[in-house]
Amino acid sequence: MRGLFTPITKIRRQVFTEVAKYAFERDLENSDFNYFYESSYRIIPGEVATYRDSVFKERAIIRERIRLALGLPLRTTTSHQPFTQGMDECATSEKKLDMPLVNVIPFACEACPTDRVQVSDNCRKCLAHPCTTVCPVNAVSIGKHAAIIDQDKCIKCGRCVEACPYQAILRFGRPCAQACGAKAIDSDDLGRAKINQDKCVSCGLCIVACPFAAIADKSEIFQLITAIRTGQKVFAAIAPSFVGQFGPLATPGKIVSGIKALGITRVIEVGWGADVGSLHEAEEFLRDVPDAKPFLGTSCCTSWALFARQTQPGLSHCIAQTHTPMVASAQKIKQEHPDAKVVFIGPCVAKKLEALDDEVRPYVDYVITFEELMGLFSARQIELSDLPETDLETQASRDGRTYAVAGGVAQAVVNVIKATDPGRDVPVTKADTLHECRKMLALAKAGKLNGHLLEGMACPGGCVGGPGTMSQIPRASSAVKAFAQASPYQTAGDNTLEALAP
Amino acid sequence: MGIIHVEVCAGTHCTMMGAMNILDAIHSLEELQHQMENPCDIRVEAVPCMNLCREQVHGPFVRVEGELISHAESESVMAAIMARCQCRNA
Repeated sequence: MRGLFTPITKIRRQVFTEVAKYAFERDLENSDFNYFYESSYRIIPGEVATYRDSVFKERAIIRERIRLALGLPLRTTTSHQPFTQGMDECATSEKKLDMPLVNVIPFACEACPTDRVQVSDNCRKCLAHPCTTVCPVNAVSIGKHAAIIDQDKCIKCGRCVEACPYQAILRFGRPCAQACGAKAIDSDDLGRAKINQDKCVSCGLCIVACPFAAIADKSEIFQLITAIRTGQKVFAAIAPSFVGQFGPLATPGKIVSGIKALGITRVIEVGWGADVGSLHEAEEFLRDVPDAKPFLGTSCCTSWALFARQTQPGLSHCIAQTHTPMVASAQKIKQEHPDAKVVFIGPCVAKKLEALDDEVRPYVDYVITFEELMGLFSARQIELSDLPETDLETQASRDGRTYAVAGGVAQAVVNVIKATDPGRDVPVTKADTLHECRKMLALAKAGKLNGHLLEGMACPGGCVGGPGTMSQIPRASSAVKAFAQASPYQTAGDNTLEALAP
Repeated sequence: MGIIHVEVCAGTHCTMMGAMNILDAIHSLEELQHQMENPCDIRVEAVPCMNLCREQVHGPFVRVEGELISHAESESVMAAIMARCQCRNA
C-alpha cells in the first residue's frame, strides 16, 4: 500500500533480510538450502494464522516469495516440485534473473472482481430510490431490505453510484489492474489476476497496489552477495532517489559508508549518467525537432520508453535514443574498470528488465532496489547512523540529481538546450504514471504536442515514487532537492565529467 | 498549550520495520489539531538506535513522554499521543 507500513511491507522486508542473511553466512562450498524452509517458520511463527486462513498457506506463500527473492521462478501447485529445486544453480555470482520479473503468486490472489457495482449496507431502501430511475438497462430493483443490482445486466455506467443520496452504491475494481497503466492484468481460469507478459512493462506498481501481497518481483540480492563474498570487485551505481530512503538519520554520506560496509568496493552516483543523458537528449532535440521528429520523449524511465514504443510503434523514433543514466554510469565503470561487477541500486523494478536487454547485459550485472538494500543492511546489522560520512566518487550536477523527481528530467534537458541556444523555445509536457502517459501519447499522436519535449515517468511523482522505495513521496522529494542544491555543478553542461579514480 | 515529546528510533532495524511511516503518522496529527479539544504541541525527534533490539527484537521503538512503546505501529503511537493530548489539559 502506497505510503503506509502494512503487514505486507513487513513480510516483504523480512524475506529480503532472511535471504540476505543466509547469503552472507552460508558455507559457499556446502550450503544447505533447507535454511530457507526454516525461514518460513521464522517469518510465520506459531500455529495460529495472523494474515490469512491458515499458517500453512501463509508459510507456503512466504516460500514462493523466498524463491522469487533468490531469482527463481514460482513453482506450479498442480504437481510436486521440491522447494529447494534450482537453489544450487542460483547460488552463484553469475546473472540468473530471467522473465517473468513480476509474478502473481496465484494461490495468494483473492481473485477480486474485475469491475463491479455493488450496493452496500448503507442502502436505506428509500422511497425515491433514484438508483432504479437512472439505470439504462433496468438492472437495479428494490429488494426486501435494499436495492439489488443484477450483475448480468449491469453495464457499469456508474449512474446509480452518482444518484444515490446515501453513497450506498460503490463501484470498485482490482487494485492491481487499477494501478496498471499498461492494462496488462488479465484473469486466469479461476478468476485470479494473471499478468499479460506481452503488455507488462515491469513498472511494478501492481506490487505496491495489491492488498493481499499476491504480487512480487524477482531479486538479485543472492547473486550480488555471492559476488561480494567470492572477493569480486563490485561497484555500486546508486540512483539519485536514494537520498532520504533509509531514515532521517541516514545522510547520503552514511548510506555510502553502509554500502561499503557490505563489502562493495566503490559507490558511483547515477546522477552522473543522468548528466551525460541530458547532454545527449538536448543535442538530439536541437538536431531533430521538429524536422526529423515532431517531438522528443525522454528515455530515462524504462517502463515509459517501452510503453511508448509498444502502444505507439509509429512514434518510436520520437523517444530519445540516449542511454539511460544507469547504462551511461555502468559503461563508464566498465570502461575504466573492466574487471569490476556493477550493481545498480535504485527505486525501480523496470531497471531489472532493462538490464536483461542484450545491449545492457554487458554493463549492468545486478539490479537491486532500496528496499532490498535495506534487507542487506539489516542482515549485517549495519547501523547507518553510527557510520562516518563518505563522499560519493562522482559528482552529479543539481539537475542530474533532480532526475529522481517528476519534472526534473525535462528541466535538466531544457537547461542544457537554453545554454546552447538561448533563443530556442522548448515547450514541455510531462506525465507521471502510465495512465497519464497514455493520455500524453494520444495528444502527441494527434499532433497537439509538436515541438514539445515530453517527459514520461511510470511512477507517481517520478522515481521517488518507485515500487522499491521506502520513504513517502513528499519526504523523499524534498530530501532529493536538498541534496541536489548541495552539488557544486548546476546543470549537466557544468559537470566536468572526470574519469574515476584508478 | 501542552507539549508532548516523542522520540522515534531511526536505527536500521526500526527504519526497516516502519519508523519512517510512524514519523509520517505523527506529523499527520497536525492536521487533526482543529478537531482536538485541547491541541498539543507535538515535538518529534528521530533518534539513533536505542540498542533495545539486540536483546529482544520487538522494534520499532518509540518513546512518548519517556514511556517506551515496543512493537510500535502508526496506530499505537498515534493513539498514545492522542490520549495524552486530552489527559494533559483536561
